[in-house]
Amino acid sequence: MNISKIRIVAQDEILRGVKSRHVWFFSSALAFICILAMHYSTSLAFLFSDPGNIPFTYISFMIILIIGPFFILVTAFDSISNEVENGTVRYIISKIDRASFVLGKFCFLFIIFAFLTFIVAIVGQVDNFTSGNVFDLQKMIFFWLFSSLYLGCFISIFTFVSILSGNNKIAFTMSAVLLGITIYFFMQGGIEYLRYLTPPYYAFAVSETMKNLPGENDYFNIIKNLFSMLVFIIATLSIDVLVFKRRDL
Amino acid sequence: MATAISIKNLYKKYGPRYVLEDLSFDVEKGSIYGFLGQNGAGKTTTIKILSGLSIPNGGQILIDNMDLSLEADKIKNILGLVPQDSEFYDERTALSQMNYFARLKGLSKDEGQEQSMLLLERVGLENEMTKKVGSFSHGMKKRLSIAQALLNDPKILILDEPTNGLDPVGVRQVKQIIRDCNDNGITIFASSHNLLEIQEICTHIGILKNGRLITEGTIGDIRRLESNGVITVGIYNMSPEIVSLVEGVEYVVKTELKEKNILEIYVNSKTDVKPELNKLIVNNGGQVFKLIENSLSLEDAYLSATEMKE
Repeated sequence: MNISKIRIVAQDEILRGVKSRHVWFFSSALAFICILAMHYSTSLAFLFSDPGNIPFTYISFMIILIIGPFFILVTAFDSISNEVENGTVRYIISKIDRASFVLGKFCFLFIIFAFLTFIVAIVGQVDNFTSGNVFDLQKMIFFWLFSSLYLGCFISIFTFVSILSGNNKIAFTMSAVLLGITIYFFMQGGIEYLRYLTPPYYAFAVSETMKNLPGENDYFNIIKNLFSMLVFIIATLSIDVLVFKRRDL
Repeated sequence: MATAISIKNLYKKYGPRYVLEDLSFDVEKGSIYGFLGQNGAGKTTTIKILSGLSIPNGGQILIDNMDLSLEADKIKNILGLVPQDSEFYDERTALSQMNYFARLKGLSKDEGQEQSMLLLERVGLENEMTKKVGSFSHGMKKRLSIAQALLNDPKILILDEPTNGLDPVGVRQVKQIIRDCNDNGITIFASSHNLLEIQEICTHIGILKNGRLITEGTIGDIRRLESNGVITVGIYNMSPEIVSLVEGVEYVVKTELKEKNILEIYVNSKTDVKPELNKLIVNNGGQVFKLIENSLSLEDAYLSATEMKE
């Protein structure tokens, strides 16, 4: 693994890559939906227990939690399989190590989504502030960290599927099936150990924090779940790299 | 002679089938090694393993005296690969892709830009630098593929079917580029099933069949090697005794009396047997007035070698 090579792959993909426009479009669409929902939430103020304190951050967080994975699916499913199918991967792997390539691809998607969730986080707090509430920097940072790590979990999952797949059609089908299985696992309240394998489990666990200012007891919960998602990403990426290293290209 | 590539007991299997079996050979530094074989012989698999795209099931590969399994990153810096299918990012310009590959090869932004432009000029794409690769012909893509492989001055250039699908002009251009690279000290390892191009540009060849190297050597060696070569002998005093004496020699496959005193001797030997045959005939009273070896074309030698190993 070479950090500078990871940076080169990610940087080139973000600025000039063939998927760059596609990813920017879908990630911007997700951010736009979040901002739109926050904007129109003032019209729905009567739905909240305290109409004077609309939880803008909570609204956008729920949108990211529910529809975010679908946006990741359409942007990440072919991140590796497209290069393998086209044969362009041969030029790259004959120059750099495989781990740098996989991590570069992950960083490309992660950086774009993290950047746009940061924009959503700022807009959420600005909306909050202009509605007469305090500008809550702490909540903004929590929202950004949870949203980006949550989406990062799915990027690493779909990158794994993309590595396994021989072509884009298989990659898309497998990714869609895996997303279905993930949602199913999460919904299985009785089978708790399966929930630990799903990113929504950690994200929903802190969703209430996005409504109100966190209490003292909430911090442990926040740190625990942030750490869990980080471990989830590192573990999945390690598997991604190991599997890709054993693949014939 | 120092070796650029050394392959020892290489194995590769897909499922239960071995595509490479106990493959061993050396490529001398500064040579142009043609890796010859029919489709499905295992040429591309060998090249993929050499360039780190495929994982072998056994064996050892040394490139410039570095073990591929231990020092793959260092090896990638001295290796240039031209894959069989020259597919690029169609939406990007040739220069943009070259710049990207240059950075991956460890060049700085400025160095990469400078070297990319020089190499594109070297392969005759100086007027196409800012055009999208999607509009390129197959030949132009092949030249771009060679250009990217030459980034950061590799010591070894590996080409998989470099002239496959090219028109005669394209073939000539690519061959000239390969020769130029070799003149600049780059060791070339090129696979092909096109015998003519191998014959023209290579200094050494190896013939692969069903994942095994059946023969290797210089072009001249290969022609002699495994060849059922024909030696024509003219003897003034031809006699049945001399013919039967010649037929009794170990490496003589058969003889044919063409005229009253012209004998065609079919031999199967890796060495030059003319002096030995001449001595045998003369010592037994034959008066030799002509002794010619009919050199086989490489194609004949290739077909002979592959058929014999069936």
